Amino acid sequence: MVGIKLNKIFFHRLFNNLVEFFRSDASRFLFPALFLVLVFYIIPVIISVYLSFTPLKNWNIDRYAGEIIGFENYYKFFYMLTHDPSVKAVFLTTIVFVALTLTVNVLGGLGLAIATYFMSEKAAGGTQLIWLLPRMTPIAVYSMIWYYFFHPSSIGTLNSILLHLGLIDKPIDFGQGIIPWGAWAIIVFVNGLVGVSYGMIVFTSAISNIPKELVIAARVDGASNWEITRRILIPLLKWHIIYVTTWQLLSLITTYDHLFLLVKWGLVNRDYGTTWSLYIYNTAFQLGETDQGLAAAAGVILVLVSSGLGLLTLKLMGFEKMIKPPRGDI
Amino acid sequence: MVVVRLDRVTKIFKGGVVGVKDISLTIKHGEFMALLGPSGSGKSTTLYLIAGIYKPTSGRIYFDDRDVTNLPPKDRNVGLVFQNWALYPHMKVYENIAFPLRLKKLPEEEIKRRVLDVARMLQIDKLLDRYPWQLSGGQQQRVAIARALVKEPDVLLLDEPLSNLDAILRISVRAELKRLQKKLGITTIYVTHDQAEALAMADRIALINEGRIVQVGTPEEVYNRPATVFVGGFLGNPPMNFLEAEVEDLDKEIFLVIGKYRIRAPERYWSIIRRLKTKRVIIGFRPEDTSIKPESLDTICLPGRVYGIEPLGRENIVVIEIGGELVKIISGRRISLTLDQMVWICPVMEKIILFDPATGKALDRLVVEEKIRAI
Repeated sequence: MVGIKLNKIFFHRLFNNLVEFFRSDASRFLFPALFLVLVFYIIPVIISVYLSFTPLKNWNIDRYAGEIIGFENYYKFFYMLTHDPSVKAVFLTTIVFVALTLTVNVLGGLGLAIATYFMSEKAAGGTQLIWLLPRMTPIAVYSMIWYYFFHPSSIGTLNSILLHLGLIDKPIDFGQGIIPWGAWAIIVFVNGLVGVSYGMIVFTSAISNIPKELVIAARVDGASNWEITRRILIPLLKWHIIYVTTWQLLSLITTYDHLFLLVKWGLVNRDYGTTWSLYIYNTAFQLGETDQGLAAAAGVILVLVSSGLGLLTLKLMGFEKMIKPPRGDI
Repeated sequence: MVVVRLDRVTKIFKGGVVGVKDISLTIKHGEFMALLGPSGSGKSTTLYLIAGIYKPTSGRIYFDDRDVTNLPPKDRNVGLVFQNWALYPHMKVYENIAFPLRLKKLPEEEIKRRVLDVARMLQIDKLLDRYPWQLSGGQQQRVAIARALVKEPDVLLLDEPLSNLDAILRISVRAELKRLQKKLGITTIYVTHDQAEALAMADRIALINEGRIVQVGTPEEVYNRPATVFVGGFLGNPPMNFLEAEVEDLDKEIFLVIGKYRIRAPERYWSIIRRLKTKRVIIGFRPEDTSIKPESLDTICLPGRVYGIEPLGRENIVVIEIGGELVKIISGRRISLTLDQMVWICPVMEKIILFDPATGKALDRLVVEEKIRAI
């Protein structure tokens, strides 16, 4: 009884606050943004969470969407995770893919930004342009390039080079033949190359904001490039490193566009080339009998895991220190 | 502690921008030398050339007899202080000062001893545990100087270190810095655009304009005997007054004609004017070397109209219009002048400097140059 009463008071208050909000100028000001958030974020989230509690299959909405089966999809997902070798492989691939690609992206971006800082202007511009190319190339074209590069027959660039050099006798099937590390190497390589440019741009602009006198002073005191990097540039880039790491972590967990093509074209093994998000996509839309309920459950778990990981990274790296109230003189 | 010598040093940047051109300058052992000039004149470029941050396009730089032209900054043993002090924001004061010693990989106790010594000398030993942003401007400036001094440099290079301080602090630090320099006896090169700072602190001043050295001398020399119109117009507040005049040689006497009026040329210039066959001159006279009189028949005086009066407490600056030109005169604390009043201004004859309008050089300099050319 008390609970119901409290709820009544709560909803009454909420309702009153909402009415007040909609009457104020703030609501008119915020409306466009709120509308977009509602349509493209809140409603899909609600639908996904709802679907994860239904046995929806093959988009047969009339038949399945009204039926609630509780946590059955979640049990099913965890059962598959522990028993189905394919889902196990997907889970493992996700961990390896995210960890390695994240390392490549952050360290690669940082390395490039610092290397170009010590280069002449022309060389730096050229280097940065080359590393931006993957980002500027359409996904299909870019994936095609690497598809032919790693192609398992002698038309593949890498195989052809190795054959000509006489290092191998017959073409190697990197993505399907060497399991799991061949497939993993390809997907990490392809995605790593795309992601490096993001960190590079953030770090480059951050470095250019470091007063050059700091570097000159260290130089006059006898610091080498390495010492300047280690003792001055990296400590001053701390917040940017946190930001790029968190951002890239979250985007790598949810990315699947390049992977989708590489798996579809058969360049890499289906189990060891598929990450969690691609698995969700495939389960919902792709292979034979589709299971939207299961996909939604896997999606909800993925969102919870990635939110948790995101918060954990920020916590570990002391993000709250950065968003302290600003001091005008820093 | 060394003698720094620049021998015909030129620095041309990419795109043909001239930083400095053909600079020769010797800074003596233990001397406090100010490089003074307007912004963009090349004074900081000169400092960076001495530090080794820039390499000269041509010319050589020597520390004593050692040719350091191609040595990297770290092998020159110079201490450098920047206008913005360039303290490392992520290091505490102690670490900031210790940084040059850490790079030299000195043992920890040696580092500690030297940091504490220099911090005590600059009275910042109570601040060692703070971050730069927790310090005032004056304290940050001391830390920057401490960091430059802790490695016991041969040459101390200061790039406008006081210009980020407020006016009152700047004047007190000025005296302190000069005292410190004399105590340590370290060869010091000080870049500034503030003429008062240069006059107050330096043993000698090198005036730089448009990438060239215009004049080198003690504060007294450059102030009282400016080599060019630029030097006269750059030093002093208010700076030297200039009036253009035509030379009228009456054989017995020489007069300078300014519009409708004329004054007798100082006698020591007669032979110079005749030798150079000068037709026009610029008359330079300092605001404090000129008096204002209600009436005068003196041949050195010119009539003018009071244009404005600026009371400064200790003195008054009287702006007077003479034939369309404005000149500033410093008069005593009490004046009884009214706007638009007609007065006579009388420069002290011995303090007048005559310049050549074409080159801007002082006439006596031109004579010397001519004699050198004749040889």
